Amino acid sequence: MPSQKKNDIAIKMEDDEARRRDRNRKARASPRAGRRKGKQATSEDEDEEEDQDKARRKRARKKKARAQDSEEEEEEDDRSVKRKGTKAPGRKKKAVKEESKEESEEEQGKKKKGGKVTSKKGKDEQNKEKKGDAKGKGGKDKKKKNGKDSSSSSSGESGDENSLSEGEMASLKEEVDEKKKLIATLRNKPWRMKRRLKLLKECQAFVERFEGALGKGKGRKLYAYKVMMAKKMIKFNRDFDNFKTACIPWERKIKEVESHFGSSVASYFIFLRWMYGLNLVLFAFMFGLVVLPEGYCKYSILFYGFYNDERTIGVLQFRLPLSYLLVGVGIFGYSLMVVIRTMARNSDEGGDGGDDGQFTFAFKMFTSWDYLIGNPETADNKYASITTSFKESIVDEQENQKDENIHLRRFLRVLANLFIICSLGGSGFLIYFVVKRSQEFANLDQDELSWFEKNEAGSIVLIRYSALQKYKVEFVMSLLGLVCPPLFETIAELEEYHPRIALKWQLGRIFALFLGNLYTFLFALFDEVNTKLENEKSIRNATIWGLNEYYANYSSYHNTTDIPPPDIHPADVIRGPCWETAVGIEFVKLTVSDIQVTYMTILIGDFLRAMIVRFLNYCWCWDLEAGFPSYGEFDISGNVLGLIFNQGMIWMGAFYAPGLVGLNVLRLLTSMYYQCWAVMSCNVPHERVFKASKSNNFYMGLLLLVLFLSLLPVVYTIMTLPPSFDCGPFRLAIYYLNATSKNYQNANLELKKKMQMARDEEKNRRNNKESTNQVMQDLEDLLPNRSLITPAAAEKPPPDNVREKGSKSPKVAKRPGAAANGKGVNLQKDVSLAAPNPKAAVTHPPGPRGPPGNARGPPPGLARGRGRGAPPPRC
Amino acid sequence: MLLFCLSVEMGSTNSTLSKIPNVEELMQETGFTPAHIVRLYDRFEALDKEKTGHLRPQDFGAINRLAMNPIGDRIIGAFFSPGQETVDFHSFVRILAHFRPADKNRPKDPSMPEPVNNRTSKLKFAFQLYDQDKDGKISRAELLQVLRSMLEMQVTEEQLESIADRTIQEADLDKDDAISFEEFRKSLEKVNIDHKMSIRFLR
Repeated sequence: MPSQKKNDIAIKMEDDEARRRDRNRKARASPRAGRRKGKQATSEDEDEEEDQDKARRKRARKKKARAQDSEEEEEEDDRSVKRKGTKAPGRKKKAVKEESKEESEEEQGKKKKGGKVTSKKGKDEQNKEKKGDAKGKGGKDKKKKNGKDSSSSSSGESGDENSLSEGEMASLKEEVDEKKKLIATLRNKPWRMKRRLKLLKECQAFVERFEGALGKGKGRKLYAYKVMMAKKMIKFNRDFDNFKTACIPWERKIKEVESHFGSSVASYFIFLRWMYGLNLVLFAFMFGLVVLPEGYCKYSILFYGFYNDERTIGVLQFRLPLSYLLVGVGIFGYSLMVVIRTMARNSDEGGDGGDDGQFTFAFKMFTSWDYLIGNPETADNKYASITTSFKESIVDEQENQKDENIHLRRFLRVLANLFIICSLGGSGFLIYFVVKRSQEFANLDQDELSWFEKNEAGSIVLIRYSALQKYKVEFVMSLLGLVCPPLFETIAELEEYHPRIALKWQLGRIFALFLGNLYTFLFALFDEVNTKLENEKSIRNATIWGLNEYYANYSSYHNTTDIPPPDIHPADVIRGPCWETAVGIEFVKLTVSDIQVTYMTILIGDFLRAMIVRFLNYCWCWDLEAGFPSYGEFDISGNVLGLIFNQGMIWMGAFYAPGLVGLNVLRLLTSMYYQCWAVMSCNVPHERVFKASKSNNFYMGLLLLVLFLSLLPVVYTIMTLPPSFDCGPFRLAIYYLNATSKNYQNANLELKKKMQMARDEEKNRRNNKESTNQVMQDLEDLLPNRSLITPAAAEKPPPDNVREKGSKSPKVAKRPGAAANGKGVNLQKDVSLAAPNPKAAVTHPPGPRGPPGNARGPPPGLARGRGRGAPPPRC
Repeated sequence: MLLFCLSVEMGSTNSTLSKIPNVEELMQETGFTPAHIVRLYDRFEALDKEKTGHLRPQDFGAINRLAMNPIGDRIIGAFFSPGQETVDFHSFVRILAHFRPADKNRPKDPSMPEPVNNRTSKLKFAFQLYDQDKDGKISRAELLQVLRSMLEMQVTEEQLESIADRTIQEADLDKDDAISFEEFRKSLEKVNIDHKMSIRFLR
């Protein structure tokens, strides 16, 4: 309580001051101590008087402080202040009695003190040490410090006046008067100035503080106001704490689940809640920095391909590509940080929060009921939770007491691990085999297609078969996911671990199984990406070629170098496959199907089962509830791993499908309600309800592992695979092509100039061959190809060639070397300098490529058409 | 440990206090302040529907927090000294004094009689709730009784017994298959009994 604390602090401060003063005095006294003990005693006595006085003051103050807290209503407080003025005399008597008792104790203390003078210093030290932890015990310490036996002093307080009684008021009044008197006469006291000042300050503060309480002086109203505010503050703090608890999302829901199903099931929901928070933050990142700036909807904001590559957006010059990349990196960075920080915090809590196993049952037995419960429903939950916690303890206890044959146990555990490694290896091989088969088949598919094309029936069969092949992988996967976990569980029973440890083993094993799942998925994805990339390469070449053709034709027709961009509707543009979007689509598909499967499983596996068991039981041969199907148990390991791998998918997919995070937030949100409902309505608690480990660091560890595993492929793709040229924030197409055409224009201009120069020079040389200087002649002799240049070729005027074709295509750039003799070398060099970029390599349209079945590729006519006059069909 | 809803509107303090006989002694004995006494008196009157000045066990039934309590009957029973059917205000207050929070910085003082709200007497009060036959020991049967009322029906008798056995085994130091007060106190040593057995409103 703040006011109490405040007072404590005030008291403590004064205490400190007093002690410092005391120490000073003692330091002064100590050199004298040896010489004249008697004198010291008197001086001590003098001090003591003062100390007594101080102690009394302090006590009164403390009482007052407590009084402040004790009252609940502020009005009451006011009243009590008033009331106290006119109290029955009986209490006064009591108070006086107390006073006298205190007095007598102090006397006693004084008596004792004589003998204690020598040891006082040591005690002082001791007290100082105590001081550290004796917050709120200021008064007591103070008294000790004054050299009085703590046990004998201050019993006056034990009666504990929770509110200010008449006697106290009187004594307080007395003290205030005393202080006032002291202030008045301080000037005349034969003390040091320092001390006088200090005392003066103290007295003034005291008078100011308590005069108000006494109902006189100017501080009264202020005091009442202060008290009122302090109370309001306390009340507000309490309400705020309640509010904070109420604000923790789903706290009640989770507690309810915990009370019926134990902390282990609750740990899943806590994990789910944590994950939801994480995803919410990631979503905020994504939404705030990428989706929102993009603004409008082109194809779908869900995928990579939608995001455009404009360098900056809006007045703020928001750099989208940069922000896209940074958000991608930031999501991983933030997740990593949060996971590790949570782990660290958990391990801290796990460390010091551990209570020893002593008296667990007695403790639960005698103290578990919460006596504030007044609501029948809450009471039911409490009954359930007490029951559950007892059951948990019983399980723990049984594990502890189990007398075991250690050798047999070890043997069984090794055996179980052997089995599990075998089955893991087997399933791994199965996955590998199936994937390989399907890949082989895909190759076969392409090679044999022509043969199959001959008869349609065969091709239909083939298509069906290939679809089957494709789904075969997924089928095998889900089959393994269905069969293996129960198998592992059965095997794990050999090991006879404590259920808590068994859960961890189970989690680890299924994790290993799912890893295979994950990585086959990834490899399949990479395959797809690679084919997409090849496909894209051809489209890119076609696009560039087409564009070049367009520029060439345009300039030849209009005889200008100022070419407007091709006027083609964006929808007609041939687009590359945009593998990033394809990957994003895969991830979204996977996530959505995962959601569907999870929810359907709950609906069928839990809800339907529960319905059947519950209602068919009336008319069935055996007891369904106790017998075979019974109700389902909540599958902790499966659910936790589902959550973890789902998160891995989100991490991997977030770069290629920014909307995925939002999707996941929705999923987690619905999951929370849906699963809470499902578990409460259709599941029964585990047979052996066990206590979850204090920190769910194991979950976090798995999550961290998945984080790294999902980081790898993303980093790999970003580092090695070229981004799609015509989609996404990192697209190259427009930028690239613009740059290319501009370069070509420049190149052609340069070329024209050079040609002109070359022709002029040629003319000059023909006209005055004799006048050419010797140096020039020698140089020409040195040129190796001079002799090779045929006169015909030399005579062929290069500019004509250029003009004839009207082409500014780079094809021309290659030729002038042959055309120009002499200076031709320089010319060629210049040209190559003018058009240094690799686009020059694109000198011919791409040949026929890709499987004929590729609908997105350019039509064969275009691909094969070498006609340079042909108008650019696209772009 | 048990909490009465004390949110009764305060009457005029003076007039209420004057109605109670021997109020000074009561306050001195229990350590309650006048404000507390007034509140308790109001509460007492609210429970005492027939205005007889005495409460009967069924009057306590109106407190739904006690009705919810698995050992609510016992707590109510603790208000009535053996053989008596009713409880008057003074005994009521004396019993409730057990639940007054301990004073934070009350020094140990051997010369003073122990106030009724100290740790030991609080524990003693709790102990008596479990020790129904008042023989100074909580026997296995008594534990089972409490357990049955505290746990749901889902628990098998076997489990109940194992809990009771285990509890006794933990707490029983002298191996007499029962928990004496000393053992009871020992087993609850770590419990913040002042927190558990205090009524905040009585601060």
